[in-house]
Amino acid sequence: MGSVIAFWILAALVVGSAVGLVVRRNPIHGALFLVVNLGGVAALYLMMHAEFLAAAQVIVYAGAIAVLFVFAIMVLIPGKEETGPDPLRAQRWLAVPLGGFLALEIALVLRSTVFTTSRSPATVPGGVEAVGRLLFTDYLFPFEVTSFLLLAALIGVMALTKRKAS
Amino acid sequence: MLPLISFRAIAPGMALAATACLLLLLDLLPTRGRKDHLAVVGLAGVVLSMILSLGLWGSDERAFNGMVRLDGFALFFNLVIGFATGLVLLLSIDYLRRQGMESGEFYILVLFSAVGMTLMAGAGDLIVIFLGLEVMSLSLYVLAGWFEGRLEAGEASMKYFLLGAFASGFFLYGIALIFGATGSTNLDRIAVAVAGGAARDPLLIIGFGLLVAGFGFKISSVPFHMWTADVYQGAPTSVTALIATGSKAAAFAALLRVLLSALRTVQPDWAVLFWGLAVLSMTAGNVVALAQQNIKRMLAYSSIAHAGYILVGVVAGGALGGGGVLFYLLVYTFTTAGAFGVILLLERDGREAVAVSDLAGLATRHPVLALTFSVFLLSLVGIPPTAGFVGKFYLFGAAVRTGYVWLAVIGVVNSAIAAYYYLRLIVFMYMREPEGSPTVLVPSLPAGLALAVALWGVVQLGVLPAPFLDLAQAAVIPLLR
Amino acid sequence: MARLVWLIPLFPLVGTLVNALFGRVIGHRAHWIAVPALGASFLASYAVFVRVSGGETYTGDLFQWIAAGSFQTAITAQVDPLSAVMLLVVTGVGFLIHLYSAGYMHGDDGYARFFTYLNLFVFSMVMLVLAGNFLLLYVFWEAVGLCSYLLIGFWYQKQSASDAGKKAFIVNRVGDFGFGLGIMLIWTTFGTLDYGEVFARADASVSVATYTAIALLLFMGACGKSAQLPLHTWLPDAMEGPTPVSALIHAATMVTAGVYMVARSHKLFEMAPVSLEIVAWVGGLTAVFAASIGLVQTDIKRVLAYSTISQLGYMFAGVGVGAYAAGIFHLVTHAFFKALLFLGAGSVIHGLSGEQDLRKMGAIAPRMRVTAVTFVVGAAGLAGLPPLAGFFSKDEILAAAASEGHTLLFLLLLAGAFMTAFYIFRVVFLALFGASRLSHEAAHHVHESPAVMTVPLAVLAGLTVVAGLALGLPSAHGTAFSRFLAPVFPAEEAARGLAVPLVSVVVAVAGVLLAWLMYGRRPVTAEEIAVPKNALHSLLLHKYYVDELYDAVFVRPLFALSGWCARVFDLGVIDGAVNGIGRLVVAWAQGLRRVQTGFVMNYALGMLAGAVAIVAFLLARAR
Repeated sequence: MGSVIAFWILAALVVGSAVGLVVRRNPIHGALFLVVNLGGVAALYLMMHAEFLAAAQVIVYAGAIAVLFVFAIMVLIPGKEETGPDPLRAQRWLAVPLGGFLALEIALVLRSTVFTTSRSPATVPGGVEAVGRLLFTDYLFPFEVTSFLLLAALIGVMALTKRKAS
Repeated sequence: MLPLISFRAIAPGMALAATACLLLLLDLLPTRGRKDHLAVVGLAGVVLSMILSLGLWGSDERAFNGMVRLDGFALFFNLVIGFATGLVLLLSIDYLRRQGMESGEFYILVLFSAVGMTLMAGAGDLIVIFLGLEVMSLSLYVLAGWFEGRLEAGEASMKYFLLGAFASGFFLYGIALIFGATGSTNLDRIAVAVAGGAARDPLLIIGFGLLVAGFGFKISSVPFHMWTADVYQGAPTSVTALIATGSKAAAFAALLRVLLSALRTVQPDWAVLFWGLAVLSMTAGNVVALAQQNIKRMLAYSSIAHAGYILVGVVAGGALGGGGVLFYLLVYTFTTAGAFGVILLLERDGREAVAVSDLAGLATRHPVLALTFSVFLLSLVGIPPTAGFVGKFYLFGAAVRTGYVWLAVIGVVNSAIAAYYYLRLIVFMYMREPEGSPTVLVPSLPAGLALAVALWGVVQLGVLPAPFLDLAQAAVIPLLR
Repeated sequence: MARLVWLIPLFPLVGTLVNALFGRVIGHRAHWIAVPALGASFLASYAVFVRVSGGETYTGDLFQWIAAGSFQTAITAQVDPLSAVMLLVVTGVGFLIHLYSAGYMHGDDGYARFFTYLNLFVFSMVMLVLAGNFLLLYVFWEAVGLCSYLLIGFWYQKQSASDAGKKAFIVNRVGDFGFGLGIMLIWTTFGTLDYGEVFARADASVSVATYTAIALLLFMGACGKSAQLPLHTWLPDAMEGPTPVSALIHAATMVTAGVYMVARSHKLFEMAPVSLEIVAWVGGLTAVFAASIGLVQTDIKRVLAYSTISQLGYMFAGVGVGAYAAGIFHLVTHAFFKALLFLGAGSVIHGLSGEQDLRKMGAIAPRMRVTAVTFVVGAAGLAGLPPLAGFFSKDEILAAAASEGHTLLFLLLLAGAFMTAFYIFRVVFLALFGASRLSHEAAHHVHESPAVMTVPLAVLAGLTVVAGLALGLPSAHGTAFSRFLAPVFPAEEAARGLAVPLVSVVVAVAGVLLAWLMYGRRPVTAEEIAVPKNALHSLLLHKYYVDELYDAVFVRPLFALSGWCARVFDLGVIDGAVNGIGRLVVAWAQGLRRVQTGFVMNYALGMLAGAVAIVAFLLARAR
């Protein structure tokens, strides 16, 4: 029951943030909605016990790629990140205590779970080992083709930028 | 456990991929700006891949855990793709230099897209189809915008990229839903699941519909065709030829494989759908083509109409319809590559001659070229004894044989309408005098060779089509088992 | 015999290739290649004809063309009495016209090109006749069409000529669309396209409806090629081509291909009696319809063009009532006298330095004696005056119609015969006799044509005189001609008495007399000929407004639709939208900018709608 409720909340979050990404005119807002969206999807992965995928999603997409987006927007379209005066200035002081609480919570969780668990993360069905095993056996060919796809993309980008420069 | 790793099964594609990588290295060598040798090496790779395909003829095996299939179907398409790529390489050599856009990456990307096409043709799994599609498309997006200084080029590339990504989204979502319904992305296992009752599963139906949308984009069938005219017009003409021939053939290969091997048991259900798409594509393509003044746009709409004709064969299905599709794609590759090849050699007032009126008086000035172009156009109309006639005869004949008489009637009516706009080009070449400065032919040995090969193809497939028809029909058989 | 048969198309093919490849070098000597090629081809045809009259036939494959599974089609030649007769006509008349062309086209810029096309045409026509299966027939059906369009547009500097070529092509596509479908239906019904096998398998095991569909589709093709209602509009315009072309292609040979095809496949037509009925009626109506238009035309070649349409109608009427031999006989005699009339008209036009208007002719007989005499012979042949060829052949058809119980059709054809006699003698009186309406310039230059042109005229006139008496005299076992064709067509009934010939002679003479009363008895002025006297005259002069009707019903709506679709679907490159917005240097970014004008959004929306529709359709079907 709990998981169904969680699913619906997450689903609403994912769809809502996707809509937000499309309708917002400010690119920075769009990028932030994207982060929310990617994070929500990662949570959905977790619910399906695809831990590795969830982690990869957070690290690669919500982390690296979203940050890259924001940088790109700031560099390529300077000025657009200005959003005007902050209407909720008064709430800023809340940030410090809330941040402190969060740090405390994390510390507690770390203490209680990570170092006491007996389960090896590798044996989980959606864990690294399972995914890795699949990638290098059943999906070996698509895996290799993907590397080729990336090479194609790389050369395409090179071709585009090289001709710009010359 | 490791799957069966068979380099045999992917040899033709490997040959292309290895050649592409070799070109990457060769491109680094200093060569005073000339890049012809890259095209020549690339061409050698294409020929090698085709020889390998011929050498492997008759094999029927699966490798990499069913991801790859090596059968007559894949090999036939390897040949079609090989012809398309080879012709495009030949056509590009002098053309790029003339436009001041010669660069090693061009040839490399052409080969990359060819690798993607062969992947699609030999795929046994939806994932591999998707990856092949992306390899092909990514390369083509960049190639379409190659003439960066031109307005239409930027527009073409951008539209192609955005809409292509949109279509890929449909495609991928379709794969996901089909996986949800059948528990697999492997075509064989999907076939088992469909036969076992998954056919009524709404998930599968929606997934299949989205898959069709993705394919529809690549084969430029109505209503997924809108990019076609803009991209055909804006892309370099040799790239247009590649998009019209190779990428269309590869998309049809994958579509046919999905339909015939995974979904054959529910043929009546999808046949109705493609009946509608075929009629829409034929009619809309031909009617809009009537109004075009730009040859490349006209050929774009013509290619939409031809997608409709080919879908007629898809509807008919079986060895007859499938064989008709394969044969027609081979015919269409020669014909269309040839037609674009002719246009690419013409210049007027220092710019590319792409307006219909630019053709005026071509017959008196360059009789051989005009005659060649006329043969390609007559083949597009479907006038015997060109290849186009035999191809259409088989497609429509298959439709009549399988009971889709009205579809054949609509197809024949459409080719009668189409005759008008192709003929207009011939009339301009033979029966009009140019106003202002005449159109000139830019001589090019490699392009001449390409035209000769294309002309050979059109005549050979028109006059002595039997061996190729046999090949095409035999190539479909492995899918029907 | 095999070698002999393949020689017939080989000669003109070689002629084509030589003139096509070395035309620039050969130039005005092209006839030294083309004419002997045709002569040799004619000799080979004659040799084949002799063998065939000895009872021999031939069927042989050159090579396998299409072989896929159960479906096999070869390049097959088939020679039987029917094709032997056709071969003789095609190569014989073709030879005379080639000879004539050497004089007529003398000095034309495209001399070598002309003979290239002409040889190519004869090659294709010979192959059409020799074809042993429907697919090959279709191939050369298209090929003769192609030559025809090329030759109609031969003088492409004239806008009207290239338009006429285009029109012929398009109208024929309509007919060929039916023809192609018919052939496909034959394939799916019988599993073969080979004449022999198709006709052998054509029995009661196939439904009448199928036979009717096949026959009517084939006949659609015949209507296009042989310019029958409602697809007749291209032939009069085809007169824009050089006159020898009109004679060879648009009178004597190619346009008769439709009749030949229907006669060839009479087994299929007979299985569906309704279709034969339709063939007969379309033929009869066309005969009268076209003849009535011919009554008032002022261009000498157009009169002959409508006359051709009308006479083709007679042939179809004959074939339609089951008198196949009579239809083919009329085809042969018509080839003689219509070629003669066209070449005679060409000689007149040549003598008048290109004048084709009847209003500007008159009284040229004394200055062009050979032309005048032969032209009158041809006219009498067409009018059906005994004892010329046209009398016998037309009579056969009329008699067949009368005796098969088609009384109405018979009366229709009789009315047509009256009009025929009238319009052709109107031409005779207006062009050759009466008062001269020539311009001073033209009158000064009138001259008889050179021997290379008049000799073919004389030969054709001789054939017109002789052919009927030699081949067409009715006897108890039918005519000599029908006996020759007996292996192909079922034997026809014996002679039918004298009533029909008598009536037809009376009608023909009445027509000639009326023409004389109106145009020959006293000199007429140009205004009298040209100005419409009443609504009917005006209707005829405008050819029943058929062209205008087609234009309004088919052509314009299609283009309007295309333009509309193009506006809706084809947004294309928007010019000007970018100007003034700003100047971004990089086109890539400009592309992006245009993307933001909304078109890509529209495109994507269209794709989305398509995907939604497809999914909805599939889901609805799955319910």
